[in-house]
Amino acid sequence: MAHGDRNHHAKIATGKGDPQCFKGTSDGPPKFKVGQRVRIRNLPDIFYTRCQVYTRGAVGEVAVITHESPAPEDEAWGHVDKSEWFYIVRFKQKDLWPEYPAAFANDTLQTEFSERWLEPA
Amino acid sequence: MSKKHDHGHDHDHKAAPMVEEISDFEALEIAVRELAIEKGLFTAEDHRRFTEFAEQIGPTPAARMVAKAWLDPKFKQLLFTDVIQASKQVGVDYLKPTGFGTPSDYTDVRVLEDTPTLKHVVVCTLCSCYPRPILGFQPEWYRTPNYRRRLVRWPRQVLAEFGLSLPPEVEIRVEDSNQKCRFIVMPVRPKGTEGWTEDQLTAIVTRDCLIGVALPKPGITSNIKLQVMHAPGDSH
Repeated sequence: MAHGDRNHHAKIATGKGDPQCFKGTSDGPPKFKVGQRVRIRNLPDIFYTRCQVYTRGAVGEVAVITHESPAPEDEAWGHVDKSEWFYIVRFKQKDLWPEYPAAFANDTLQTEFSERWLEPA
Repeated sequence: MSKKHDHGHDHDHKAAPMVEEISDFEALEIAVRELAIEKGLFTAEDHRRFTEFAEQIGPTPAARMVAKAWLDPKFKQLLFTDVIQASKQVGVDYLKPTGFGTPSDYTDVRVLEDTPTLKHVVVCTLCSCYPRPILGFQPEWYRTPNYRRRLVRWPRQVLAEFGLSLPPEVEIRVEDSNQKCRFIVMPVRPKGTEGWTEDQLTAIVTRDCLIGVALPKPGITSNIKLQVMHAPGDSH
């Protein structure tokens, strides 16, 4: 049990590392595939998030499926019983910033999301 | 205390403070540290030793891994599948000292490989995420809001400020390290390094090359030669 045990994280992660210690703790296989087009959802984030506002609503492509971990929105409050898959998503810069110069249309940006932030696009 | 002296100026104004007041987080760190010392979890000297250790790590382990990967395809394969294992070969146990990384030094580390037409550069827009066990402490600029908020949006302008201007046919790929993955950049091995040893190659992979704001160049290393003065009569 995570709650009330201050050593919980040390117990599960020692010798493995974090996020490796959460391997196999999500509900199932990843819902999205490498290469798949995804849109970043605009979910409420009143308390804590690591999903940057500049990505909300943007469409990109899954570049890497990285690992399983509790989402930061849960982990920040000690809720580590449920994990999610994480994805590095690649965006065209021009899809993030309307004023991005057309001369540099190939430029890209990658950043990471837990599964709850993604929907098929 | 303020009073006029006979030398004609007053001492009314205080000197500007040398440092800002401490932040809430610094106060919290001190409180937790003092409690831990009081409880006997570690001593003040342990804490000082760890600080001394952490502040002198530097980017050499990551630089050596890049140099090894340039020379040895087998090592390169390991580097791209398991940086934690690869770092052991350059003398770094990434899981130390806690045994599981720290909330800042998470242990999913990835290498971003540049090509002649693809240049990676790393930022953490949320804070200053950085693979410290193999790269040492972040440079001050890496933590500034200026770098963090501008690199994602105006990468070419920011890179130009670092002296790196790239033609449009090179794709610039910004990696915003905002979750548990940590990144280093593996630049293209520069021309003019044919036949070089691992030590020679390691020396030109500077910290800034590993973050992605610079490219390695023969002859350019981070080793600054400091003159060491000897005391008069010193026979060494």
